[in-house]
Amino acid sequence: MDPKDQIVSLLKEADLYQKQGLLNEAKERYKKATDIIKNNAGIKNGQELIASIVKKVVELNQKINTINQATSKPAVSDKKQDLIKKLFASSGEKKDGRHDLEGAIALAKFGQFDRALEEFERLLDDETVRVAAAKNIVRCHLESESPEDAAQSFERWVGDDRFSTAQLDKIRFFIEGRFRKLGFERELYQHEETVSEEDIEDLEMVSDSNEAVDTPGTDHGVESQPVVLEDMELPEEDEFLDINSVGIQLQTGVQKGRMIELDVSFQTGNSINLIVSSKESTLLGELEKGTELTDMQFFSPIAILNGSGVVTAKTQIKSGPKEGDYSLDITILTT
Amino acid sequence: MATFNFKKREIECKIVYYGPGRCGKTTNLEYIFKTYKKQIAGEMVSIDTEGDRTLFFDFLPMGLGKIKGCDVKVQLYTVPGQVQYSSTRKLVLKEVDGLVFVADSLEVRREKNMLSLKDLHENLKSYGASIFKVPLVMQYNKRDLEEEGIPLMPIERMDQDLNRQLKAPCFSASAIKGQGVPQTITECLKLTLLNLQRQLKWAK
Repeated sequence: MDPKDQIVSLLKEADLYQKQGLLNEAKERYKKATDIIKNNAGIKNGQELIASIVKKVVELNQKINTINQATSKPAVSDKKQDLIKKLFASSGEKKDGRHDLEGAIALAKFGQFDRALEEFERLLDDETVRVAAAKNIVRCHLESESPEDAAQSFERWVGDDRFSTAQLDKIRFFIEGRFRKLGFERELYQHEETVSEEDIEDLEMVSDSNEAVDTPGTDHGVESQPVVLEDMELPEEDEFLDINSVGIQLQTGVQKGRMIELDVSFQTGNSINLIVSSKESTLLGELEKGTELTDMQFFSPIAILNGSGVVTAKTQIKSGPKEGDYSLDITILTT
Repeated sequence: MATFNFKKREIECKIVYYGPGRCGKTTNLEYIFKTYKKQIAGEMVSIDTEGDRTLFFDFLPMGLGKIKGCDVKVQLYTVPGQVQYSSTRKLVLKEVDGLVFVADSLEVRREKNMLSLKDLHENLKSYGASIFKVPLVMQYNKRDLEEEGIPLMPIERMDQDLNRQLKAPCFSASAIKGQGVPQTITECLKLTLLNLQRQLKWAK
């Protein structure tokens, strides 16, 4: 195609992508057009054209920055928060503590922490969901990056008659676990009672009653709290992403440079297993135990990552439907 | 999962529009909201952000009236398409009864379509559901841009990329012009209600 036509076509595409909100795609087209202009000195008004493209790219960058910097979970209006609660509390129309708890959890999941905290605080009065509400208060503080507030909430509950010792122990255990994961060092204030001889009999009674509280399935037991709380778990940052497939580039042969995509059949941590068809002879020839793959692509459900890996095992499958194909273990080194 | 009130003979189900960012999910709902006033049971709510990108979801309640002696209510949702809103997408997908996957026909969005479909597959799996079993309709959107000389993928290629295994009913569409939008939602409703009939036996 004539360079002029190419430029016109690229600029047209770029404008349209911009209108569609596909800002990165638009930017890429502008860049291609600029490259063509630079490589074709004969293009009339080339410098003016480049200047006008640069201006557009600057505007695009500003838009991209604004989008990237926008908070992902801003507070929304009360009306919309009510709707979130209504739509995402899955226990139907039954208006009970569990229903309210689910509504508050939904608010937290959508990042409406202030309102969620208000609702969880209110739910502390409800014996059936008290511990779950308390744990979610902690979680909201941690999600808002305020671990100190989480600690202070707990210390407030220690002097609160609504919580039994067993319940407080569970909550403390939960907070300490979270703090350890975050690397946040903070000792929680523990209410220590001085036990006198006269208290010994009472102590036994307290112990019995705590056991009853912990019995699964009781109406007010800690263990009978809805497990919905676990729904709120977010993946830990140090966990490996699930890799669905990988791209490996051929380094030799007539198809050198071709990227071959292979499905991951099994993954544990940073080790993945792939089945490679015996038909992929070029690729198989390149992949031996110990081969370092410096230019890999890892396709996860949320992102495509570039990285490297090393082949740690290569075995030919001896029986079954994949007989003759190869099973490869690859350890991911960097992404 | 749909709710079926035996006493009132009322069924309520959830349909989610899924797909990559900027593929036209919200535009589909806007067209439905604009065009089917009689069936709309309330306001369309959009929670969006900078650049009109869906931030949490769009929500549109519909009432289809009596079908086989049962009052049928439908909630239409969209998910945020941008990659970073993964947890929100998963949340909106919970208990879905029917799906519309809106794919962007622009050639430059080919990879995004595939990633979004994989994301849908993974999210359904995490709820113990299968993409092969949930009623699903494919919509290949933005076909009108062909007239403007913008490179689009041929339908066959999109089918090969996205629908080879699923073999879901598919429709070409231009959501902005309303083309293909009614066909898509009608087919999805049909499949969803048939599936729910098998499970809940709601129809008389």
